[in-house]
Amino acid sequence: MKDVLILGIETSCDETAAAIVKNGREILSNIINSQVNIHSQFGGVVPEVASRKHIENVGPVVDAAFREAGLEYRDIDAVAVTNRPGLIGALLVGLSFAKAFAYGLNRPLVAVNHLEGHIYANFLEHSGIEFPAICLVVSGGHTSLVYMSSIGEYELIGQTRDDAAGEAFDKVARFLGLGYPGGPAIQKAAEKGKPGRVVLPRVFLDRNDFEFSFSGLKTASMNEWNKLKRKGIANVNDLAAEFQAALVEVLVEKTIQAAKKYKVRSILMAGGVAANRELRNLMKNRSQELGLPVYYPSLQLCTDNAAMIAGNAHISYVKGDFAPLHINAYPGLLSL
Amino acid sequence: MLILAIDSATSVAGVALLNGEKLLKEEFSNYKKTHSETLMVMVDRVLKECECTIQQVDAFAVTIGPGSFTGLRIGLAAVKGLSLATGKPVAGVSTLDTLAHNLCGSDALICPLLDARRQEVYCGFYDVTGAIPYKLHENLACSPAEFAVKARDVAVKKGKDRIILLGDGYYPYAEFFQQELGNCLQIPPPHLMLPRAAALGSLGLKKAQQGEFEDILSLRPVYIRLSEAEYRLGRGEL
Ligand SMILES: [Zn+2]
Repeated sequence: MKDVLILGIETSCDETAAAIVKNGREILSNIINSQVNIHSQFGGVVPEVASRKHIENVGPVVDAAFREAGLEYRDIDAVAVTNRPGLIGALLVGLSFAKAFAYGLNRPLVAVNHLEGHIYANFLEHSGIEFPAICLVVSGGHTSLVYMSSIGEYELIGQTRDDAAGEAFDKVARFLGLGYPGGPAIQKAAEKGKPGRVVLPRVFLDRNDFEFSFSGLKTASMNEWNKLKRKGIANVNDLAAEFQAALVEVLVEKTIQAAKKYKVRSILMAGGVAANRELRNLMKNRSQELGLPVYYPSLQLCTDNAAMIAGNAHISYVKGDFAPLHINAYPGLLSL
Repeated sequence: MLILAIDSATSVAGVALLNGEKLLKEEFSNYKKTHSETLMVMVDRVLKECECTIQQVDAFAVTIGPGSFTGLRIGLAAVKGLSLATGKPVAGVSTLDTLAHNLCGSDALICPLLDARRQEVYCGFYDVTGAIPYKLHENLACSPAEFAVKARDVAVKKGKDRIILLGDGYYPYAEFFQQELGNCLQIPPPHLMLPRAAALGSLGLKKAQQGEFEDILSLRPVYIRLSEAEYRLGRGEL
């Protein structure tokens, strides 16, 4: 069978990314232009600033993806692009570019759900993942549990009611003066502290469903921090360690519950927060008790990238499931 | 020379195809601001009805600003994609130049205005007696009152006894401008009031003939304004 080369474009948040993936498996190039240094001066992603960087970066990033792969533009078979969910202005840059680029090359366009892309990152790096599987998608924008009956078949079984896990990391890190982005900053501080010296709540909500809520943990962290400071015994590392432990415990226990209920054969993690070491370790330990394998992408494929978009698009490409010229971008998840 | 002009800088979306000085087809829509859904469909329809393919186009023209930030990026992203894919160059044209060109030949002072929100307008001051609009003053983002003072001032200095306002920045302040500019003021009919892809194509053609093209990879909109966050950061409010 002829090889299928797909260009992926991703601009849903603050990374401008392009990648070329062969047959949905082999990454030929993976270019990421991160704006993290620009947004760190604002303490978080500023949508208008992100959109302005995307329009400057999209051309050079796409061009670099071809150069790194050693390919000409006309060598690709399809153009894939994230069209939801994400920052609407940011998504529109990638989508408008991708539509026109595909049209100019006379190639089909594939629209990709960013969350499905994150999950697909696992299939770029691991083979033999058995179904059904449960996948925890955790990032700055999402905290979702997704049931997969087979590849490309997704069912959302629960998500956060308020902040995403990564968002909680960012907000608490900012409050503690640890910097941006919050995930790596809190992980680093937590290594020097000990959980349990301060006590924060584990918010499980209803034990029988798979919804999350992190705004309570965030508020409790802030209150506890203010209290300790008044007493003059505030240790930022201990608080970071307890915050991380509380958040990770909820993520892992909910995932394990779901794995049991749905009788899955694999556990998957995806998204930027899946790079967190505590989360990886606890998930491995708890799933070992159930005898289930845990998969997660390498650090580079956990955070936003376009290889996962190009990879996931291969599923649609094989089915001939292409996007029309009038397709739009959407900030929300709609459905999976 | 086939020029494909693409404009989504304001609430209008427009696409036109010109074969040199001859306008073959133009689409104009000021109905709904869903440019991301409609723009490429319009491009496809214009080309198909003219029995052209995208590969036959010799150059693209695009309005590079000022205008709606998102609208500008949709248009620029589209021409970037088309230009990279086909290898054909892009002529970038100011949205205000494009508007002024609607009234080409008039001896009045031509002032295109775009609604810049926050009680301001993007404005330009042009003499259009020549083949292309000639800028009498730099483009500004300012209050309608500041604009009116500047417009009267430029009109006096350049010996223009009539001032023509056009563009979507006129409507929210129509009454105010009528009071301020009185008998000097003229408003064009609806078909000349908003950006036209045909006018963009005409100016794009002139740039193309001079070989005046944009660097497609680094091309970015002319916003005139900083983003709100950058503005506040600059003032030390963040
Ligand atoms: Zn993401």
